[in-house]
Amino acid sequence: MMHETPQKMTGEDRLAAELRKTRARTLRMAAAVTAAQLLLLVAGLALWQWATSASSQAAFMFGSPSAIGGHLAQMFRDGSVWRDSYVTGIETVLGFVVGNVIGTALGLALWYSRFISRVMQPFIIAIGSIPIIALAPIVIIWFGTGLASKIAMSTLSVVVVALVTSYKGATGVDDDQINLMRTLGASKFQIFRKLVVPASLTDIFAGLKLTVGFALIGAIVGEFMSSSEGLGHAIFKAGSLYIIPKVFAELVATIALALILTFIVGRVERLLTPWRRAG
Amino acid sequence: MEAVHASLHSGTAPQSPLSAAPLEVLGVSKSYVGSQAVVPVIGDISLTLNRGEIVSVVGPSGCGKTTLLNVLCGLIPPDTGTVRWHGAAISGQPANVGYMLQKDLLFQWRTALSNVMLGLEIRRVSAVQAEDRARAMLDQLGLHGFADAYPSTLSGGMRQRVALARTLVNDPEVLLLDEPFAALDFQTKLVIESDTVNLVRDSGRSALLITHDIEEAVSVSDRVIVLSKRPTRVKKTYAIDLGVERADMIAARESPRFVDYVRQIWADLDVARQ
Repeated sequence: MMHETPQKMTGEDRLAAELRKTRARTLRMAAAVTAAQLLLLVAGLALWQWATSASSQAAFMFGSPSAIGGHLAQMFRDGSVWRDSYVTGIETVLGFVVGNVIGTALGLALWYSRFISRVMQPFIIAIGSIPIIALAPIVIIWFGTGLASKIAMSTLSVVVVALVTSYKGATGVDDDQINLMRTLGASKFQIFRKLVVPASLTDIFAGLKLTVGFALIGAIVGEFMSSSEGLGHAIFKAGSLYIIPKVFAELVATIALALILTFIVGRVERLLTPWRRAG
Repeated sequence: MEAVHASLHSGTAPQSPLSAAPLEVLGVSKSYVGSQAVVPVIGDISLTLNRGEIVSVVGPSGCGKTTLLNVLCGLIPPDTGTVRWHGAAISGQPANVGYMLQKDLLFQWRTALSNVMLGLEIRRVSAVQAEDRARAMLDQLGLHGFADAYPSTLSGGMRQRVALARTLVNDPEVLLLDEPFAALDFQTKLVIESDTVNLVRDSGRSALLITHDIEEAVSVSDRVIVLSKRPTRVKKTYAIDLGVERADMIAARESPRFVDYVRQIWADLDVARQ
């Protein structure tokens, strides 16, 4: 055993050097990608600025990065960006949570009965194909013009997607693993809780990431219909007044909100699925 | 008085006396109903697994070995015939039976330790006791220090060891093994084969090994049962006597009789004429 040690050491050293080289290459690649992205952004903004500076008509129709920046600065100064983002954020988060809880619970529950899931299939497809915006007038009649109708719109945008992704996760469980549970004497509920639910988490989180955007769309469409505050309200108002750079400035805030919410979902996913970071 | 007591006992207890073989298969047949026709898979199989015995079942590919295993596990009912565990015909899953497949079936969201604890959790063994037993089992299989590793970080051989630990921690009297070593590289396979054989023999357990690997069957088993093509019947049974220490896989494979058995069984399988 002893005489093998020096040879093994050199082997390990070579491996470490190789690993360092690979890491350096990965880092260089990441840096190059980031640089290219920044360059593309700056070039795009510069082109936009140049094209709209030529005529005041173009600047009116398409806004300009400098005007958008001015509106953003104004939104920060008067604090409206925080207020509107907060309102829309609350609507989105509540709709996201309610929609995903209901959708995921129903999707997983459908695993329990193949019969019921087959009965429900055409109805789910039918409901899933309704454009949510078409429901907005009814939602306002049912839930009023306040927070509840925005949450309802947001929930409706989320619930079917959550149902379908979680059901797909639940039915995708390996039959051999189900058989293993059965040979270990597991009850149907134990199979559900110890196998089906955790095995579906990957699909459920894929659905969660997808539905962040849908929840935001629902909330903003709800604000378009009737509202007194929120990003959707601000966009609608600026648009009605033909203040196009302001519309873009509110859009920037909306994008930022979407990115923050997606980031939070990603963090929660990392926290709840530690095994996916291993290996 | 004694006799009355004994008969009363056997009359009320769900299991027959210990003298009954752990597993008896009597005249089992199974067909699948396809869209066009009924496809007979198992024609007529009878076999016995005695206490402390390792029996292998080999057969041509597609002969319904896995169907047989699923019938034995109570996962699918046979069309005819009975499966008796310790002399008793039961419906559903037999108790004290461990089941292992080629796929390790580890739950990727559980660490090695909590994968091993699965069966104990299902039977509601207390968490402390379950963890102690699972750790001891992992140690026994040379996985000390890997208890908290997720399956995705383990090699194929280690994963199959965790699967073996998950099976053995429930202290099964009978192991049903469906090609559990088939996906492993040759060296790893020999090591895990001998570990499994040792663990079975040391504790007086029995094992039924379903495999397509004739050399594996001959090297680990007391008896090899050769199945025919579909509809499957028992074609021949070999009592294996290699004249060596049975836990030593290398010695088993080097035994002069080993080659003879392999050659005969190979001829029985009739592969060339298929």
